[in-house]
Amino acid sequence: MKLLEYQGKELFEKYGIPVPTRVLVDNPAQELDLKFPVVLKSQVPSGERRKKGGIVIVKEKKDLLDSLSNIFQKNIDGFLPEKVLVEEKIDSIKEWYLSLSYDTDCRAPVVAVSPVGGTGIDSARVFELYWKGDHWELPQLQGSPRLLKVAQALLDLFLQENALLAEINPLFELPASPAGGQDGSFIAGDAKVILDDNVVNPSDRPYLDLQGDIAILASGGGASLLNLDILMHHGGNPANYVEYSGNPPASVVEELTVKVLSRPGLKGCWVVGGTANFTDIYETLLGFVQGLRKVSPKPTYPIVIRRDGPRQKEAFAMLKEVAEKEGYNFHLYGPETAMSESARIMVRLAYSS
Amino acid sequence: MSILVDINTKVLIQGITGKEGSRAAREMIAYGTKVLAGVTPGKGGQTTEDGVPVFNSVAEALSQFPEVNTALVVVPAPFVLAAATESIEAEIPLIDILTEKVPVAAVAKMIAAAKAKRVTLVGPSSVGIISPGRAKIGSIGSSEMVHAIFTPGSIGVISKSGGMTAEISRILSEASLGQSTVVGIGGDLLIGADFLDIARLFEKDEDTKAVVIFGEVGGTYEEQLAAAMESGTITKPVVALIAGQFSEKLPQDTVLGHAGAIVSKGRGSAASKIAALKKAGALIANTPEDIPTLLRTIL
Repeated sequence: MKLLEYQGKELFEKYGIPVPTRVLVDNPAQELDLKFPVVLKSQVPSGERRKKGGIVIVKEKKDLLDSLSNIFQKNIDGFLPEKVLVEEKIDSIKEWYLSLSYDTDCRAPVVAVSPVGGTGIDSARVFELYWKGDHWELPQLQGSPRLLKVAQALLDLFLQENALLAEINPLFELPASPAGGQDGSFIAGDAKVILDDNVVNPSDRPYLDLQGDIAILASGGGASLLNLDILMHHGGNPANYVEYSGNPPASVVEELTVKVLSRPGLKGCWVVGGTANFTDIYETLLGFVQGLRKVSPKPTYPIVIRRDGPRQKEAFAMLKEVAEKEGYNFHLYGPETAMSESARIMVRLAYSS
Repeated sequence: MSILVDINTKVLIQGITGKEGSRAAREMIAYGTKVLAGVTPGKGGQTTEDGVPVFNSVAEALSQFPEVNTALVVVPAPFVLAAATESIEAEIPLIDILTEKVPVAAVAKMIAAAKAKRVTLVGPSSVGIISPGRAKIGSIGSSEMVHAIFTPGSIGVISKSGGMTAEISRILSEASLGQSTVVGIGGDLLIGADFLDIARLFEKDEDTKAVVIFGEVGGTYEEQLAAAMESGTITKPVVALIAGQFSEKLPQDTVLGHAGAIVSKGRGSAASKIAALKKAGALIANTPEDIPTLLRTIL
């Protein structure tokens, strides 16, 4: 789960990472007591806010209402902000990049640091953390003690909040204070935090609207990705991405079927999976039929089903009976028909009428 | 021969009294795998329907069955770290984790601990491992069809996807290409043994003549295998099927399929994996049915 910037900054405050003085507003007319200039930041889940006008500097108070009204109406990558973060502008001498994430090369947490903010992890130096038997330890990093303090706080957040990514980009370095002669403080300019869905949303199933006209109920994390590749290769336009893996009960498949087939303008439905190791095919397809009966108007488009695995024969006998009695346009295939062949059949049937 | 599991495999199942654990135990025993003991804290002293004695802890089980050389972890996700830690501490040489949706933070700790103890960790989200005709561990190969799908032979299979282990093996078997060992490594962001770790074992296995991998968008495990092929560490022929090319059209950071399939900043894309593997000399399959055809050109 990807947090919005303001949610990330609330976590930063909890772990002692300095953030700018700020107010979160949900309407343009909201009163706020901040020093100008301020920065308006659209709270949308897009990585390209700056490029697309989602971050605006306002120099004087008289311009605030207009600018806020504009940004609330600005659509960025399909998102309109419900909230806008207004922050006092920071004058920095340097912008850093700092992040914690998991790396698949070393299969451990890594810290990435760059004295050039704004560019991202690609130009940063990446260091592996060490497992000390009961905790992860940061490597020796070059830099001021205050920077290391921010890195340690970010690590604490990363581990305790079950994050997959905790990123500060830019991390502002302030000018040294003239009196003390110390190096400057650091303030987090942005916050990007992705939490581990295995912890925060363990029952979530991935679903994406892909705008096409062939509904897909694909089984298996890997096979579902492969089957989308193959359907598109044959010229099909997938309506959605969804996946049910493991051995789902009929009720889960029923719910997914209703969700996927409730989209208007469908020309076909493809129920597909490889040879299952242990998924009960009868149970799965029973759930599909239960869902199908709830879809209105009743689907008349071709439904291509390619499944194989435990109780597949029983399942197909049941489907044949349902098709006959209730008048569905089923096309049933077992392991003798390749998944890719069933994709070709699906595309032909969907677009021939 | 085979890798990881064979006729000498002696298994302890952590979570044997649960629904998945008891089903896996029954099917493993039916296949001829030696399941010596089970562990479920609080249920020590019981015996399962299949006659396997249950213990409260791994240490307790090992005191009675010191010959155990493989642990299968099938406990619910929140308990996987504690369960795997017990087996790692006991230095059981092979630990296969079937549980899905294990927190990544827990997986990172298990991997570090397994490295320190030099034990092989497979998973999480592993469907299991089968050496056809010899033994199997996990949910791979349901009992009614297992002998038709998985047949003995000389092709090693490594797959991030559990479902695709059966689909690919069935297609291979229909083409009279049997398998030495089929390994479900899981599709999580962080995994224990990866493509390269398993390919190294196949490289040393006399009976394995070629390796088939099923990879996916996300992570860098496919790229690491490609690098090892380039450097000459892996010399046996590799046929690769990589899923997720369509997802290149989606916004960055979109999580698809398995948890490890995060589309991010060009790194780990299906296209970059295919390019790296092709450059290293792997043959690229576009569909599962291409695999036997490609294998025939090199065997």
